Amino acid sequence: MLARGVRIAALVVVLAACGVPDGDYFGRVDRAEAKHLRWCNQGEPDFLDPARASSTVSSPLISLMFDGLTTYGPDGLPVPSLATHWEVSDDLQTFTFHLRDTARWSNGRAVTAYDVAYAATRVLHPLIASPNADNLLPVAHAMDYFQRRVFRLRADVGGLHAGDLVDRTDDVTIPDLATRTAPAPLALRDLGADEPAAYARVPAGEPVLLIATSGTTVTPPSPTDGTWAYVYWARDAEGVYGWVPARELTGEPFAATQVHVKHGATAIIATGAQLAYTPDVVGIRVIDAHTIEFTCADPTPFFLATTDNRALRTVPTEAVSRWPSRWTRPEHVITSGPMHLVAWIERDRLELVRSPTYWNPGEVKLDRLTAYSMDDQAANTNYYFTGGCDATASNDVPSTYLPVLNGEQRGTPYKDYDVSPYLGVYFLWVNTQKLPNRHLRRALALAIDRTQIPKFTHGNEIPTAQLTPGTPIAKLSPAELATCGVTRETPGVALLMSAGLCYVPPPGLALDLAQARAELAQARAEGGVPPKLHYIYNAGSEAHKQIAEYAQAAWRGLGLEVELEAQEWNAMLEATRKGDFEIARLGQVGNVADTESEFLPLFTCDSPDNRGRYCNQDYERLLKEARTIRDRAARNATLRHAEQVMIEDAPVIPIYVYTQKHLIKPYVRDYPINLIDQPSLWRVSIDQGSTR
Amino acid sequence: MIRFLLGRLVASVLVILAVATASFLLLHAAPGGPFTTDARRSVAVQHAMEERYGLHDSMATQYLRELGSLARGDLGRSMKKDVSVNGLIAEHGPVSAIVGLLGLATAVILGITMGVFAAWKKNSWVDYLLMTLALVGISVPSFVLGPMMIAAISIHLGWLPPARIDGVSSYILPAITLGLIYLGTIARLTRGGMLDALGQDFIRTARAKGLPERRVIWKHALRVGILPVVTYLGPATAAMISGSFVVEKIFQIPGLGTYFINSITDRDYPVLTGVFVFYAAILVLLNLAVDLAYGVIDPRARRT
Repeated sequence: MLARGVRIAALVVVLAACGVPDGDYFGRVDRAEAKHLRWCNQGEPDFLDPARASSTVSSPLISLMFDGLTTYGPDGLPVPSLATHWEVSDDLQTFTFHLRDTARWSNGRAVTAYDVAYAATRVLHPLIASPNADNLLPVAHAMDYFQRRVFRLRADVGGLHAGDLVDRTDDVTIPDLATRTAPAPLALRDLGADEPAAYARVPAGEPVLLIATSGTTVTPPSPTDGTWAYVYWARDAEGVYGWVPARELTGEPFAATQVHVKHGATAIIATGAQLAYTPDVVGIRVIDAHTIEFTCADPTPFFLATTDNRALRTVPTEAVSRWPSRWTRPEHVITSGPMHLVAWIERDRLELVRSPTYWNPGEVKLDRLTAYSMDDQAANTNYYFTGGCDATASNDVPSTYLPVLNGEQRGTPYKDYDVSPYLGVYFLWVNTQKLPNRHLRRALALAIDRTQIPKFTHGNEIPTAQLTPGTPIAKLSPAELATCGVTRETPGVALLMSAGLCYVPPPGLALDLAQARAELAQARAEGGVPPKLHYIYNAGSEAHKQIAEYAQAAWRGLGLEVELEAQEWNAMLEATRKGDFEIARLGQVGNVADTESEFLPLFTCDSPDNRGRYCNQDYERLLKEARTIRDRAARNATLRHAEQVMIEDAPVIPIYVYTQKHLIKPYVRDYPINLIDQPSLWRVSIDQGSTR
Repeated sequence: MIRFLLGRLVASVLVILAVATASFLLLHAAPGGPFTTDARRSVAVQHAMEERYGLHDSMATQYLRELGSLARGDLGRSMKKDVSVNGLIAEHGPVSAIVGLLGLATAVILGITMGVFAAWKKNSWVDYLLMTLALVGISVPSFVLGPMMIAAISIHLGWLPPARIDGVSSYILPAITLGLIYLGTIARLTRGGMLDALGQDFIRTARAKGLPERRVIWKHALRVGILPVVTYLGPATAAMISGSFVVEKIFQIPGLGTYFINSITDRDYPVLTGVFVFYAAILVLLNLAVDLAYGVIDPRARRT
């Protein structure tokens, strides 16, 4: 790959020309600016809209700008934010959050429970097609609503009552039943605003989509007489949303369309006029302006841990409605978080300043933050070296620089270089349909000495045979060791979860050559060893190639022939998704410190992400069983048992726990590095006194 | 002349149509799509994301939709960032154009001067030195040259910024890196053209008239000797001002070049077609300019 050539050449040449810089720190440390963090991010954010963003680049920026019920603590675990406290029902299905009344948007409006409900139902509306909709998967009817499969009856029909929820039972494509027209032009405006305050006017007869009506369980009540309707008009590629009095919408083009639906055991045929497609079917209920309740379909202990993520970050209705895809531009944006966006120069930088309306100003240590959007690792590291930025994001150091920074070359690491574990695991998928022999797969896993790998990848990765990643047990504090119920000598990692919980994954199949040979002999006896194995990895990174060759050598040591193939990234993802591979290098990164929601679902029979096509009924049963256990420690024990069953079948060969590499100038204080790489940058401070 | 221009116009439209078609077909033939991911994602969400951009329509429908908007001068909308491709080009094109024009100026001024001196002092040490330099310029790729300059000038000496466009000084390294790629070729083409020109009758006449050698070289010979360079400048200018991926990547310039590569790896169909159509249009335009320039520079090429 060209990009790789660029990177490697860049570094080799830089190092050759300058040698290894002396001193405790890597580059200049004399350019600190008071209360201003200049941060090298790792690329251009895809979106700043929490509903649409899917890249790791945008996450830290979104949590700076938009508050959530909870937000990321310095350790990455959720801390109360908009919500001051909450109650969880005994069945772990209902979560009631109480919001503070001091939270304000940057335009002065109060942040309310309706804003949370708006953000969540927006993520679930199919028009947005949010990549983050899955984050709300546990919420009752969330995915049914997302797929337009659930409706509320508007009238009594065939023995069912108005207000009942019905599910579609057929798969025929139907027109959007929410389409409406009006005989007169529609004046789109904020809820309850006078007609002259309209910011868009829909011509008479033009179709609009009815999104919601006022006064439901998720929408604010109408401030005037009569119900209001929130509609979308596809004016152009961007469109526009707005409120109008509902009585103006008289035309229902698909009123006569027939749809097969059922409620419980009752199946009926309803017409479009009898069905309402409305967000109040979802298990979200605003109790009052400062109280909101979420209902999950199953006991979901990890729901609280997900309340800080993008899908539940508040978004400003008034700006989103006017500029559905441009509302995060500095000229339009309204924020609720610690910092406010004032400039966004694409592919160069974003400028944020302290928000004057944030409810917790004491925690914001910065007046200004500049986030550079450079996507080239060498450029970021060079920029840091010359003092252009004060700290880098977690993946800004090119691999060729690692041996210099971590001290392999000069004996001591630089003091401003930090390597920390990351909630991600590098592994090899083994396709259980192409390689169905369990002994063969176990032999493959048992033959690899993972401890040698960081010696050539140089990133201080944490060798592992465990699926669930976490912090090396050897690095835990005494209190954490007690929480996890392990001693410092216990090998492997542990995952510290919220609420003082800890998950210690089962050991997995670590190096054991004698056993590998025994397993292989067994596999051969069963005729389960093909003459040649095929291993694919994505081209463009030296490390993937080296690891492939290392595994190849290890397996050759057992007498197995292995063919390696580099594929383009998308091609490899397609091949693995279709099951068109034997062994493939991939990995899995978790957004939440919870293996039940992040890692174990990969291996269920019906998971679209189960690239190894692994399917074991014992595993399914244990996961299902865990879901019913309310005691979290007991639940973890069952999950651990499930992981044990799976890892012993070796549909996956874990290689190492990823690490994050940061460069942080000595005058930067309290930079929050955490396992899920969600740095709450507003907590950072600049200590100019320590500048050399 | 009008007929010539009209003919070229028709040909241009055909070229652009061919470029749009080829980029559409090739990218759609590649495995995966804009929303292919290694992240966990349900089938429903994946389906909805693709549906939003009409990726479930038939290839013919998608192709016609793309041509339709192209005919209206609308290059479509990025599927990864939900912004218009016209907007992307308007925002990032000028950055590339400025760096490109600076690089072009470096290459043309230095390259032609070097070529002229080499031809003038043919087979002397001046010639050998200049042509060796030119050869180095041609052979050293920009992904080696750029980092070398960053290492020496930004990291070691600390004179110029190593990345980003921020103030006048940050244009210097990218412009030189970009210019040096073309400088060598321009110098060699100039030398060849000049040697040809210097051997011709009208030069002997000019010298016989007693014109000073400087005037013969710079006024009479250069006019003819530069023609191969002019031919080369059409495509070279188009490539330079529409953005060099490598130079933009090394120096992190927010230009257009990045999209030529990233839209392929991202499978961002409208962006790819958009930037390639834009590039084709510039190329066609500049080649036309070259043809017209021939008539101006070389009296022998004028159409009657």
